[in-house]
Amino acid sequence: MKVVKQMVPLLAAIIILLLLFRIWVPSFLTPENMLNLTQQISVNTILALGMTLVILVGGIDLSVGAMVALVGTTTVYCLTALSGDTQNPFMLMTAILAGLGIAAVFGTFHGIAAAKTSMPPFIITLASMLIARGCALRFNGGLPMPIKDEQTWFLAIGNGRLFDVVPVPVVIMLSLFLLMALLLHRTRFGQHVYALGGNREAALYTGIPIVRVEIMVYLLCSLMAGVAGMIHTSQLYSAEPGSGEMFELTAIAAVVVGGTSFTGGRGTMFGTLLGAVIIGILDKGLNQAGVHYSLQYIVKGAVILVAVYLDVRRNR
Amino acid sequence: MNKALRFLISSSLLLILAPLISGCNDSPATGPDSAQTDSQAPQKPQGRLFGASFQTLNNPFFVDLGEGLQKELEANGDELIILDAQFNSLKQKNDLSDLILKDVAGIFVNPVNWEGLKGSLLEAQRKKVPIIIVDAPVKEADEELIVCTVASDNVRAGKLAAEALAKVNPKAKLVVLHLSVNKACIDRVAGFKEAMQAYPDMEILDVQEAKGTTEGARPVMRDLIGRYPDLNAVFAINDPNALGVISALDSANKLDKVTIVTVDGSQAGIKAIQAGKLHSTSAQFPKEIGKIAAEKMLAHLKGEPVDKDVKVRVELITAENAEQHLEAD
Repeated sequence: MKVVKQMVPLLAAIIILLLLFRIWVPSFLTPENMLNLTQQISVNTILALGMTLVILVGGIDLSVGAMVALVGTTTVYCLTALSGDTQNPFMLMTAILAGLGIAAVFGTFHGIAAAKTSMPPFIITLASMLIARGCALRFNGGLPMPIKDEQTWFLAIGNGRLFDVVPVPVVIMLSLFLLMALLLHRTRFGQHVYALGGNREAALYTGIPIVRVEIMVYLLCSLMAGVAGMIHTSQLYSAEPGSGEMFELTAIAAVVVGGTSFTGGRGTMFGTLLGAVIIGILDKGLNQAGVHYSLQYIVKGAVILVAVYLDVRRNR
Repeated sequence: MNKALRFLISSSLLLILAPLISGCNDSPATGPDSAQTDSQAPQKPQGRLFGASFQTLNNPFFVDLGEGLQKELEANGDELIILDAQFNSLKQKNDLSDLILKDVAGIFVNPVNWEGLKGSLLEAQRKKVPIIIVDAPVKEADEELIVCTVASDNVRAGKLAAEALAKVNPKAKLVVLHLSVNKACIDRVAGFKEAMQAYPDMEILDVQEAKGTTEGARPVMRDLIGRYPDLNAVFAINDPNALGVISALDSANKLDKVTIVTVDGSQAGIKAIQAGKLHSTSAQFPKEIGKIAAEKMLAHLKGEPVDKDVKVRVELITAENAEQHLEAD
């Protein structure tokens, strides 16, 4: 029940924001606009789900934006090289696995480096952000790589609709949310994550396999970035080596607005989902209300500050 | 619950404050919304809302382009929302769908990724929102989805630069500082090479990437001076690049031996011409691009046919006419 109570202010903020923008933009609450909102937040939400785990253990992953680009370019490169102009489910799976595989390599490395050495995660992932970005730029001389129109399955990941209504990215986002929420709140692994973030020393002495848990956490975060990269790439009809810059920061913003403590040990997946929704509503609402772009930055910055300040006060 | 309440109050205060501040300069709330309610009815001749999405607004070129659009639309009694994509193609896609779902009468797009716009163009087509591309083209395959492209005549800008150089040094041994990811720059270099064919004694020693910035050009130019002792001319892809070249040549004491030509026509470039450091720049007119794009949009909405590919004039600026272009702004 305590968890539910923590979510009340976030839910209330969402309702108030929706109503405010409804006053401002009459068509704001139409089903179409709301459905579009869920589609727009999907990439950021998926990144934020992974980031929540990392922040819960007291870490950070700055590489997710670059990972979005690297997974996108790797997948499209393999897809084009393997299947050419034709469509083949086996080749598509291979290309997707290649993309997720490269994310897994980075994630595992982050986990091992964070758990086994005393290098701060901030620095580890800062370095691999540069490495991943560089790798992405190796493809096609740093130019965007278009996806052939024939690849309708891959294009459906970002642009398709389930039953002609629900966008596929939203289906993926919600499934991953359920999966991550179950993992964090209903399994022993989830308990270990909280224990590790709460007090590392204590976790070690109670016999929690901290190395394994930490590797798993960073691996999951990179894989989430991989999935987000697939959606992003499909939505743009091309893989863009330079894309995904600053994505890590919007993801972190969603996590902290959602009430996860930046020092670790406290936070929920549901909170992160609500945090991403709040940021999404702000983006969309300010855009549609015609607020000058310079003010949009200021408002978003202020909202993040206020949300985190109130959260910190509540939990003091 | 007391704390929850406080959160509500502060967040709502923020959102009430925001429109008040923005209301002072562009009063977004009233005009567009009244147009919204009767979007089923045929296009109203006036008071419509338009949208624009630029790859960045951190460059005077795009700020000027936006001003050109805004001025023309407002003169017609319409309004314009300008959004900054911050070089982020996903943000541009989201911005565009926000505009489309708001039922704007038309959208001006300067694409972040000229191959990544198709999803947005299809969405606009479904909602029958006309799109005009400004400054940089989209993929040829996507051209049927747009009304037209309005951009500088970049090929001609390159030609003008080559001819200006040929006038002072028909036997130039030159290097090109390129930004090969950008279609406009590709066109400039193509135009330059085309015009160069009339001068068989001109020779390109090397083509190097210099990021289109002052910081990018300086080290590249320094290396080139060392590698080619007989180098006596430079074609830089834009004014910021040319300024980097000037600074590199200046510190090597070679500025008087090398003729620099470029494309842009920024105030900084014109001042460099007046100081005798830059030979010429083929000027673009961003405000005019905006004005023409707005005119094409209004014509299209009236049902008039519009040319697919609209080229906006470029003009050579040298020491002779630098003065008048400096006054123009």
